[in-house]
Amino acid sequence: MPLVKTPIPTFVQKLKRFFMIDLIRGLGLTLKYNVGALTDKDAVAGKGIYTEQYPKVRPDVAPRFHGAPRLNMDPETHDTLCIACNLCAIACPEDCIDVIPMDVEIIVAGKPRRKKVLDEFIFDTSRCMFCALCQEACPTACLELTQEFELATYSRAGFVWNREMLEQGRETVKYTS
Amino acid sequence: MILLSPVNVLNDLLQSLGFSAETINYFIWPLIQIGLVVTLVALWVAYATYLERKISAFMQARLGPMRVGPWGLLQPIADGIKLLVKEDFIPESADRWIFFFAPYIAVASAFIVFSVIPFGPDWAVIADVNIGLLFVLAVSSVGVLALILAGWSSNSKYALLGGLRSSAQMVSYEVAMGLSLIGALMFARTLSLSGIVAAQGSDSIWFLLYQPAGFLLFLISGIAENNRAPFDLPEAESELVAGFHTEYSGMRWSLFFMAEYAAMVVVSAVAATVYLGGWYFPFVNRLETSGHHNLFVLVSLLVFLVKASLILYFYFWLRWTLPRFRYDQLMDIGWKWLIPSALINIVLSGFAIFTVQALDGYRGLKTIESLNRGLNLTATGKGIMIAFGLVGLFVTAALLSRINWRSRDFNLKTQRRNIRLVNLPKGKPAVQPGN
Repeated sequence: MPLVKTPIPTFVQKLKRFFMIDLIRGLGLTLKYNVGALTDKDAVAGKGIYTEQYPKVRPDVAPRFHGAPRLNMDPETHDTLCIACNLCAIACPEDCIDVIPMDVEIIVAGKPRRKKVLDEFIFDTSRCMFCALCQEACPTACLELTQEFELATYSRAGFVWNREMLEQGRETVKYTS
Repeated sequence: MILLSPVNVLNDLLQSLGFSAETINYFIWPLIQIGLVVTLVALWVAYATYLERKISAFMQARLGPMRVGPWGLLQPIADGIKLLVKEDFIPESADRWIFFFAPYIAVASAFIVFSVIPFGPDWAVIADVNIGLLFVLAVSSVGVLALILAGWSSNSKYALLGGLRSSAQMVSYEVAMGLSLIGALMFARTLSLSGIVAAQGSDSIWFLLYQPAGFLLFLISGIAENNRAPFDLPEAESELVAGFHTEYSGMRWSLFFMAEYAAMVVVSAVAATVYLGGWYFPFVNRLETSGHHNLFVLVSLLVFLVKASLILYFYFWLRWTLPRFRYDQLMDIGWKWLIPSALINIVLSGFAIFTVQALDGYRGLKTIESLNRGLNLTATGKGIMIAFGLVGLFVTAALLSRINWRSRDFNLKTQRRNIRLVNLPKGKPAVQPGN
């Protein structure tokens, strides 16, 4: 006598068990996946193989993905678009942006004037949560979070990006084969 | 044919070198054949591991090995080199000599079997032994010894449990494996593997059609014999780390790995020979009659490899579909289902052959064509025999499920409870604490 009462199988269930229908269906499922992988077609999502050949083939990130920051430059003059207004640093919930301005002497309408321009821009990616509020705050569309996602470095100091890194982008090893 | 002329050229060369015909036929050619077969089988085994990884990956919507060579085709070679240069560690408390020799026994017992397997006609078979099938069964079961020795000599509880399990499993499934082949032997009337292929060729049918039950039984017990999923209890990684080869590393471990795959190839080769007609395939014979002898042998060899590889694929397919059996379920299938159905299969095949022989000549019915090289049946006889095979399969299954249907209630917990409560007043623990 079993301790736990098991339901008595119906006739159809007995027939299924006798002809091992479930076993055959299971075999059919794995075969379907195998054939689907070979023809790169699958009943579930129309895709046979989900593996990404990452270093060889760059993955397609989502369109709204936010990654490494970048300071955009004027495409014609190659001057920075940043006006050192500090709005991004104010908008940042993590306080990871430091905008360091400097004053330069310029002559406007024959009179000497002082203008605030960008000297150094510090962006701490280790603290950034990629909310892109800084990007929203930027009045000149200068600061932008790109789709670049390879941010790993060998030291903590490497996470702190300076103006040069933000403008030029960081060099990473690109694998081709 | 220019490609294959070296075979004849070499023969002439050896003769011109002064070797006698006997030396050439019984010594030099066998050596060449053995070299070829060992190379072929080693490659086959290596690429079976590659295919296993690929197929398992495909079944899980992955890619599998891709980095070494195009589509990862050099992966088995890279693995082999890696395992060769790895440290070969022997535990301090292990039984050194037994630990040392166990993997070699495993590999040798798996590879020796290939000496009698007919890869093709004529020069593609090393030795056509009269008792071929018996030889295969005898030698391949020596592989169990290796597992037991490995499990014992490792001096580790996991290895010992794996060895114990493998011995119990082998003992139960060896019987069913031997018995399931007898049905096919009744048609072939010989134990020689080449003879079995010839019998299927002259009857122009595969014994799979006469013996569906026998084929299934042989495959199931073969899978159990090779410790493959769903019968891989001796190396159940979720319970026993790695089973009998827990303590092995480096080259010795890879020898066990090779032995496992070689044993799989052996079982699929034997199944292809006995049930799928071996190297025999329709229309390939025309090459022989039109004079292209060596091409005929080569094509037959390919046919055989394809057939065996299909069964090998079935192995992988099952492994990545079914979960592992519980230990009591394993014994249940072995003793309550496989052995009785193998016995029933023998009786039913005997009855079928008797019926066909009795029907021959009854009211002008002609069932038996000739008894030359096994039982050759006419189309009517074949139909009767195939019908008998199919009906027998279901009759066996129905009979056994009728007999075994209460065995599902078998409950270890109830048994333990009963044992514990013998002669014990209620409410008292069976073992006194602090005793």
